[in-house]
Amino acid sequence: MRLAQRRGRSYNKNTMFPRLPTFLAVTLLAALMASSLNVGIAAPASFTFENDVQPILKAHCFHCHGELVEHQGELDLRLARLILTGGASGPAIVKGQPDQSLLLEYLRDGTMPPADVTHRPTDAEITIIRKWVAGGALTVYEEPESLGDGFYITPAEREFWAFQKIQRPELPQLFGGLPAENGIDHFIGAKLAASELTFSPRAEKTTLLRRATLDLTGLPPTPAALGKFKNSRNPAAYEELVDQLLASVSYGERWGRHWLDAAGYADSEGYTDSDAQRPWAFKYRDYVIASFNKDKPYNQFILEQLAGDELVGKPLENLTPQQQELIVATGFLRNAPDGTGSGAATEEARNAVVSETIKQVTSSLVGLTVGCAQCHNHRYDPISQKDYYRLRAVFEPALNWKAWKTPAHRRVSLYTEADRQRKAEVESQIKEIATQRSKKQEAYIVATFESEIAKLPSEVQAEVRTAHDTAEKERSDAQNKLIKKYPSTVVTAGNLYLFDKKAAADLATFTTKQETLRKAIPLEEYVRCLTEPHQQSPPTTFVFSRGNFSAPLVEVEPRELTVLDPQGTASYVDRIENIPTTGRRYQYAQWLTSAEHPLLARVIVNRIWAHHFGRGIVDTPGDFGALGGRPSHPQLLDWLAAELMQNDWSIKHIHRLIMTSTTYQQSSTRHELGNKIDRQKRMLWSMPVRRLETESIRDTILAISGMLNTQATGAAVPVMADRTGQWIVGKENLNAGRPGPVIDMLGQQYRRSVYIEVRRSRPLAVLEPFDLPTLSPNCNRRASSTVAPQSLQMLNSEFITQQSRHFADRLLRLSDSAEDRIRAAWRLVYSKEITAEQFDEALDFIGTSEKTLTADYQDKGIKDDAQRDALALLCQALISSNQFIYIE
Amino acid sequence: MSDLGTMNRRHFISTNATGLSGLALALWVQQQAAQANPKKPDLVQPTFDTVPKTPHRFGQAKAMISLWMQGGPSQVDLFDRKPELERLDGETFPGEVKYDNAAQASSKILASPWKWRRYGEAGMELSELIPHMGSIADDITLIRSMRTGVNNHGQSIRAMNTGTTIAMQPTLGSWFSYGLGSATDSLPSYLALIDPGQLPVEGVANWNNGYLPSVFQGTVMRPTEPRILNLTPPKRLAGKPQQQLLSYLERLNQQHLINKPGERDYQARINMYQLAARMQTSAVEAMDLSQETAETKKHYGMDDPVTKDFGERCLIARRLVERGVRFVQVFTQNQFWDHHGRIRTSLPAACKKVDKPSAALVSDLKRRGLLDETIVHWGGEMGRLPVIQNDTGTKNVGRDHNTKGFSMWIAGGGFKAGHVHGMTDEFSHQAVDQIVNHYDYHHTLMHLFGLDHQRLTFEHNGRSRKLIETDKSRLITELIA
Repeated sequence: MRLAQRRGRSYNKNTMFPRLPTFLAVTLLAALMASSLNVGIAAPASFTFENDVQPILKAHCFHCHGELVEHQGELDLRLARLILTGGASGPAIVKGQPDQSLLLEYLRDGTMPPADVTHRPTDAEITIIRKWVAGGALTVYEEPESLGDGFYITPAEREFWAFQKIQRPELPQLFGGLPAENGIDHFIGAKLAASELTFSPRAEKTTLLRRATLDLTGLPPTPAALGKFKNSRNPAAYEELVDQLLASVSYGERWGRHWLDAAGYADSEGYTDSDAQRPWAFKYRDYVIASFNKDKPYNQFILEQLAGDELVGKPLENLTPQQQELIVATGFLRNAPDGTGSGAATEEARNAVVSETIKQVTSSLVGLTVGCAQCHNHRYDPISQKDYYRLRAVFEPALNWKAWKTPAHRRVSLYTEADRQRKAEVESQIKEIATQRSKKQEAYIVATFESEIAKLPSEVQAEVRTAHDTAEKERSDAQNKLIKKYPSTVVTAGNLYLFDKKAAADLATFTTKQETLRKAIPLEEYVRCLTEPHQQSPPTTFVFSRGNFSAPLVEVEPRELTVLDPQGTASYVDRIENIPTTGRRYQYAQWLTSAEHPLLARVIVNRIWAHHFGRGIVDTPGDFGALGGRPSHPQLLDWLAAELMQNDWSIKHIHRLIMTSTTYQQSSTRHELGNKIDRQKRMLWSMPVRRLETESIRDTILAISGMLNTQATGAAVPVMADRTGQWIVGKENLNAGRPGPVIDMLGQQYRRSVYIEVRRSRPLAVLEPFDLPTLSPNCNRRASSTVAPQSLQMLNSEFITQQSRHFADRLLRLSDSAEDRIRAAWRLVYSKEITAEQFDEALDFIGTSEKTLTADYQDKGIKDDAQRDALALLCQALISSNQFIYIE
Repeated sequence: MSDLGTMNRRHFISTNATGLSGLALALWVQQQAAQANPKKPDLVQPTFDTVPKTPHRFGQAKAMISLWMQGGPSQVDLFDRKPELERLDGETFPGEVKYDNAAQASSKILASPWKWRRYGEAGMELSELIPHMGSIADDITLIRSMRTGVNNHGQSIRAMNTGTTIAMQPTLGSWFSYGLGSATDSLPSYLALIDPGQLPVEGVANWNNGYLPSVFQGTVMRPTEPRILNLTPPKRLAGKPQQQLLSYLERLNQQHLINKPGERDYQARINMYQLAARMQTSAVEAMDLSQETAETKKHYGMDDPVTKDFGERCLIARRLVERGVRFVQVFTQNQFWDHHGRIRTSLPAACKKVDKPSAALVSDLKRRGLLDETIVHWGGEMGRLPVIQNDTGTKNVGRDHNTKGFSMWIAGGGFKAGHVHGMTDEFSHQAVDQIVNHYDYHHTLMHLFGLDHQRLTFEHNGRSRKLIETDKSRLITELIA
């Protein structure tokens, strides 16, 4: 109806025919794949320019006939009236007369587009244009007077679903007694009912417990939690469980990890082969985890990450913990690959940092592939090249490629004035000790020299002494010879210990004192962050011709993408009170987090949804544009976005809504009708089964084996190569480039995956096979593959075989009874009780394995404990099984 | 059944390798019974596997090795000599050129700085930079009229390897694995042999299965040992203990699947454990180059540090198809051929690395009688322009992208030998005669594999998806022997 209300004037009634919102996309997609338009669109009685013709012309003709400065053949096809006017060859069409219309003649005979263009309009598309001309070349809207400098956003593009302001929809009515816990179930249920489907029954309690726990924490339920939940008669037990899980530290570790994917977090610079480390990046990772745990309002979270430094409002020294947090947050804008300090000190590399940062920011926050508009107008989304550079102007004062600082020079020290004083004090004390030491050392050297001289034949003593007293350069050959003859008289700081052990020991006490003192110097910590010079006028941002920084075209001012803010609501002022920087990022963040922005809230609720259900309501979390997916439940998406904004942007509120819904609590069992109508469960008639993410597989196995080290926060646990060249957790200890002795990691190797170094060039072998993302520059959706290397890892890797043994040891400690151990193993791995049949088989397997191993070990000369290892094999089978690897 | 002879030969090798002859024979019979097109989903629970499928009709090609030259090798300097460029060297290009990098663009013609020679009985004219390829001129078909018409690396890579410019669509290897299964039950049907340098543009998407089931995804073989991680069990588990573990695991998974019918991933993962178990012996054996003679190793350039890596990977590729792998793609590193600048030094270096091993692969397959049924492809996603890019001194000059006319060669599997197909204009800018678009190339490949491009479909989200979704594709009969 919006279409009708906004019409400029009255047209043929038929133009009011409501279009499917997917029309544009379908057309584009069809054009792109050069397939015919055989999609199920109800044929309208008559075609209109905006809805039917313009998308075709945009895909095939606009580039030469509209968007270039000079229109080919003086023909501009961007508006119906311009088409009617025509170009050098006269009018392109004649209303109602397709056979007399030049445009159609050229399209038909293939004159246009020119012969060398591969993607050509299909017959179906040409027919649409023909019918449009025949029907009187109708338009829906009043056409604009002028069309600016080459880029025109068509009304149909403005109407695209993702660019509409978020409005809270009414809940659809549910009929037939569908169980609705909250609004989610209304939207899901209504669509199910329309397809003759219904919700599946509620999942078993234990299934639900495992699902909820893994979803929120990335760790399995403990046996205690299992016992408690299974036996609880409290009707609110599930709600309480969700609250407890949301309150646990591991919640932030899991959901922080999700955010780090979108943010493109890494502990190394990438870009060049050296892939230098980012020793202080971890503070941003900890900030993200803490923010999720605190349920920091999402608008605040975004504001801090985009403009934390601007919010500090003062020089970045003597910072309070709150101020430190704010600048740490800007690490978000320092995640892009950056080779400028590690071998790529070029302007090209600097500009690559800027453009990768923009890609990462836009895909993660607003779900658009803005980066495509760097070189030319976006081909599929209404984003002009100029728009791109206006957005770049928001970031350029801080990412100024003409006044660039390398990573080492731009980090901010957390040293306070007091720290600095303390350091100076200690250093002067150390210096004092050094002075005392060298005095003492000199005295020892003199004394030793004297005692050595005394040992020489008396007739040479004087001569040797003179030789020594002569400066080295001025010594005669004879003197040099003499010294060589009596080497014991050469006493230096370096060899003193050979003459006088006591003296050496005495001098060593000074060194010890210095070292002890040095420990009193406060550790200087740094922040990897994005900052902007204070009180300076911003650099000028230019549109770069075809993205080339050495070919600047015109100057631009900061502004939001036109299509997201057509009214220019988010205008930028030069100065803001209490902000010593340009305030551009601050203003951008304010606009993003205002209720006016059409995408920020939609994109984040979609991400949350995707992590709970395996797929988003929009299947492409990083692309809400024309080439991205369309929402399966558009109203639900808006309702969730509105819920987020109206509940203080609380992420945990969205989790609660989702997890307490009937939709989420369904069983994952399939049935024939469902498979037939919707095999992929897009309508959610049953809970989708999801494979554990790679970090969850590792963390969960460690939790089960009892080895997990839950220490939170701090510097990244390092990654090194083992002797076969695999990347494993460990501290590099190279000896002339070859691995030296292995350094004991003291349990650090068992920390959660989120704390392990993300070195771009060193993907951790234990994480790699299960779709560890590559950051280019960020990851908006993880793959979930099933390939043989995953199976090989479960069968043969050191990690799995070792953890299986640890798991077995845990079971052995737990009980003396083989029966109890098997039951406990089931609870730990599957969060379920074992059935009688499974029990018999497991017992049987352990027995057989023990026999085999005993015989085998004897043959192979292995001294290991066959009984323990038989149990370890059972453990390995369980953690390799589908029931473990998938969340049901 | 006319291809039983050759299938047996491949099968013989894999049987020997795994020592499973009795079991393998049973499997062989069962595999022969399986049919080409997986049934329509949902009526019966579909399972996806790499059991061999009978193609729609006889296909001469049984396997394919694609030597993927990412970045766009310069056809102007390697394959497509143009006297007109030599005549007009340094002068203004008379026609229109579409540049990727307008900032560094110039319209100054750059004739190839290298000499040309005619090779073989065919008299195929090739650059002096690729003498080894010259030595196989009589075995290959050189296509001088390739085009994708999409100017960026990513999009053109997708066009060549997935048939469309859209991201994350199934790759050729996935389609062939899906349509034909694998002639080995102990190796993945599709392997990606990556370079020791950076992954090429598009990264892991280069061997992605898209909407096809994940069992058709390419398996990565690393460029250095261990080429496949975790391929061998720890000593204490090798043999019977692991066999018992595997059968117990299978039992656990099957029991679980009974209660969760229709979860395709579950079935796929069960299959993957079976494959992994067999790979433990067969992949180790397939990668064991110590079984090759010194002469063969030298033939592939393994004795020269420049050609060693690529030579090893080409040799492994041969060993893989010999053992029944359906599709192998050998990758060069990121933008290896993207010579926007300094082409005078970087192009000869690139050629040096791949020329000898690439030619060796073809001649080695031929002498082993495998070339007839193995397609070898050599080429990238684009070619280069006849004009200078970066006109800032002789040593700095390069060439910009050209997707409207470029060259690649293809050998074996039913393609003509000693043949040159198609033509570009007098400047090697646009393909003008006997044009081969990416979809025409795919159409022809499918034909040689015995696959009907209209009938090999996959139901996805209510649509019947195909490798070639345009109706413009053409079987290029002129390429076929």
